[in-house]
Amino acid sequence: MASITSSYNPREIDNTEDMPGRRAPLITGNQTYTSVTDMVCRVAEDPQPRLWWILFGMASLTASMFLMLIGFLIYKGVGIWGNSSPVFWAWPIVNFVFWVGIGHAGTLISAILFLFRQNWRTSINRAAEAMTIFAVICAGIYPGIHVGRAWLAFWLLPYPSLNLWMWPQFRSPLLWDVFAVGTYASTSLVFWYMGMIPDLATYRDRSKTPLRRFIYGLLCLGWTGSSRHWLVYEKAYTLLAALAAPLVLSVHTVVSFDFAVSQLPGWHTTIFPPYFVAGAIFSGFAMVVTLLVPMRAIYKLENLITLRHLDNMNKIILATGSLVGLAYGTEFFMAWYSQNQYESFTFINRAFGPYWWAYWIMVTCNVISPQLFWFKWMRTNVVAMWVVSIFVNIGMWFERFVITVTSLSRDFLPSSWGYYRPTLFDGLMFFGSFGVFMTLFLLFCRYLPTIAISEVKGVMSLSDHASHLEAEVLAELQGKEPKHVGHAH
Amino acid sequence: MNNNDHNVKSNKEPRPPKACGWMAEFENEHDLLHAAEKVRDAGYTKTDAFTPFPVHGIDHALGIKPTILPFIVLCAGLTGLCTALLMQWWMNGVDYKYIISGKPFGITPASIPVSFELTILFSAFTSVLGMLALNGLPRFSNPVFTNAKFDRATNDRFFLYVDATDKYYNRESVKELLSSVHANSLDEVMEDSTPSELPRSILLGALLIVLAGLIPAAIVLNMRASFSDLPRWHVFFDMDFQPKKKPQQTTTIFKDGRTMRPQVPGTISRGQLDQQDPFYLGYDPMKVTSIDTEKQIYVSTVDSVANLSALGSVAQPPAGTPAAGAAPVLPFLEKLPIEANEENIKLGKAKYEIYCSACHGYSGYGDGLVSKRAASLAQDTWTPPSSLHLDRIQKQPVGQIFHTISKGQGKMASYASSITPKERWSIVLYVRALQRSRNANIDDVPVDQRGSLTDPVPSQTK
Repeated sequence: MASITSSYNPREIDNTEDMPGRRAPLITGNQTYTSVTDMVCRVAEDPQPRLWWILFGMASLTASMFLMLIGFLIYKGVGIWGNSSPVFWAWPIVNFVFWVGIGHAGTLISAILFLFRQNWRTSINRAAEAMTIFAVICAGIYPGIHVGRAWLAFWLLPYPSLNLWMWPQFRSPLLWDVFAVGTYASTSLVFWYMGMIPDLATYRDRSKTPLRRFIYGLLCLGWTGSSRHWLVYEKAYTLLAALAAPLVLSVHTVVSFDFAVSQLPGWHTTIFPPYFVAGAIFSGFAMVVTLLVPMRAIYKLENLITLRHLDNMNKIILATGSLVGLAYGTEFFMAWYSQNQYESFTFINRAFGPYWWAYWIMVTCNVISPQLFWFKWMRTNVVAMWVVSIFVNIGMWFERFVITVTSLSRDFLPSSWGYYRPTLFDGLMFFGSFGVFMTLFLLFCRYLPTIAISEVKGVMSLSDHASHLEAEVLAELQGKEPKHVGHAH
Repeated sequence: MNNNDHNVKSNKEPRPPKACGWMAEFENEHDLLHAAEKVRDAGYTKTDAFTPFPVHGIDHALGIKPTILPFIVLCAGLTGLCTALLMQWWMNGVDYKYIISGKPFGITPASIPVSFELTILFSAFTSVLGMLALNGLPRFSNPVFTNAKFDRATNDRFFLYVDATDKYYNRESVKELLSSVHANSLDEVMEDSTPSELPRSILLGALLIVLAGLIPAAIVLNMRASFSDLPRWHVFFDMDFQPKKKPQQTTTIFKDGRTMRPQVPGTISRGQLDQQDPFYLGYDPMKVTSIDTEKQIYVSTVDSVANLSALGSVAQPPAGTPAAGAAPVLPFLEKLPIEANEENIKLGKAKYEIYCSACHGYSGYGDGLVSKRAASLAQDTWTPPSSLHLDRIQKQPVGQIFHTISKGQGKMASYASSITPKERWSIVLYVRALQRSRNANIDDVPVDQRGSLTDPVPSQTK
């Protein structure tokens, strides 16, 4: 296997082997604490590569376009979108669910993998958490502007209103959504920030200019690395992980309630919560792969984000992708087994009705493409996995499109059927949200620690005195290809 | 950040900085743990270690007690739960009750999601803020920052520190102890002697920014609390100005310039299907349509009978009917749509006596109490009700009588809202019976019954 990957990139060392009794190394290249710090801090300290500037230019232009389009939308009204009877929940909701779903990977990696003691998470959790925050920001924009009068979006919150003299309706899943997404966004933000505090202190202590030192000093809140502080910090981190783990599962459950609690065929189903959560993890991991594969290449982080990390993520994509496929099948089974004519019609209409193309794009991308990850050479080939991850992203967007639009466009009453067509504004605004996402992510790469330095060092320390097997295996792997060793120094 | 340029500023200070304690630097965590155990065993408690990552076992090696953070977070979580439950109970169960499908108010299973989320929210923020509070963060001025060597504490070096406030602290003996543990280096930590107060310019700037930020809020508050004769200032137009047309206005959208649109031909309103049925009309609408143009069909089938009557007078010239000016003729039913049985006659009699007899009289001669009273008052405007035994009325088809009851005639109001169609037909049946009985002759009586007629009816011809 090693030869396949290393032929692609001479820096790659294949540490994906799974041999009983042998502990595969988590990071490669004879790393020391110093070299890990150097490798991560270099990303923010060195001048950014030309590619960063090109990407940032494109992303920030797209983001500006998005902001201008939001301004136009507020001025003109939601009529510029294609939302019309009978499909009033069109792309804005599709995009909201798409982005919220993507936003699940970060906290899942940080919290659930932390609770399961999956040490490999340490190299990828920071970037995934950042991605989560930015995806939730993109998600939050859509309901805010979809309410029509965006300046009154605060009516969603229970506040003592002197104009309305009323409270929100707490039995509505749409209100649960406000609480779930709001809690998720703020908890993910503090989780991310708290995780960064020690690394921001590292940035502070390596600063060459007073301004940099001042800003990072402010951001890290005067962190010293005191053991007494670390003890409370670790306890707080564990608590946050334990709190965030059920939270991350609850968020997409509540999002699925927006659909499942209604009476519409194709929405009114009990499998929505697990189905949505599996889909969210699926799309989130795909987005992490989409972002990390270029990031590790651009910033030369292959020794920290190793093939083993990518391999593990691809395994999760395979598992969740298969779960999603099972959910699609279960929906059809239930449509037949319930003997409900509306339910049966909805699903036959999904696959063979006017939106058949969307349905089969979804099935191809979500069910078939991740099955390629049964092959190890697919899981460890960075180009192949990047392409599959893009397919998964496309497929998961189409899944939300299929669920939202096909059910709404043809409900119980044939006289009210319609065919939904998006407008140019729908397309440009969806594209624009990627601009916001990428702008934020590129700024994150440039200014904040992209890898949890202190956590990686903690894992290095653990493996150091827990087992020497890992070091032996690493030496053996590197012995095969001596030219790959120690490039980072 | 007072610690930023500590090297420069400490030179300016005239007073020599005070020593805070000793700091030993180590290459790796094992040496640190080893040294920490020694220091602990020597009895020092005001100690600390500074490491780039959490070193496992250091709490034991230094004798650090477990944190109470989990209990604080538990309390916060319970607070969040109670807040959520109370909030939902108060807002939806007490202060503003939503009635939805008869579901119960207050705490229900539907309260679970919000309660769960608020529990998590309170706990998560308490974890982070509690961690910062227990650690005394943020703290930007710290004696350990005065030594540039310490910058590696967040990178690849491990430090052990003994504070001068420890009750067993002795400068020389601590130095001796730390010298014996294979430290890379040993330094005395000096206090941070840079000035700790904020420069006046920063304070002034912050004050100005705060004041400037208050201006918009002050304007809004002033506007909220005062009155003005000026038109409302529309930041957002909301629904104050709606591009719409009202009835009777003109438009350029349609060729005929009318904003009010006629119904599309063939439209059948919901709930008015009975309007197509002769039973409810007294005439057969299909026969009306068959003799007219398409446009008039539409008017006749949808609009009121008033329209229809006008239409009938034009479209259907009265042939064998009373002179022009009388009620126009519709294709009235000639046969009763209900059965002429005793039950219906009794119903008709009852309803006739309730609704009709007041004017038309119990026998139908137009001598009801209201009529008599009006006549005795000599009201000029009073139009006496017709006798039902007039030849004109006797010749009317049953449908026309039904139509008259339904729609009214002359002074007579419509009784459609008070009398159901079936009752109206029963009244028609009763009226027919009255007419027959009041205009009978001896031939109508069966021969074998004629003997039982004792008294002739009082002379009361029409």
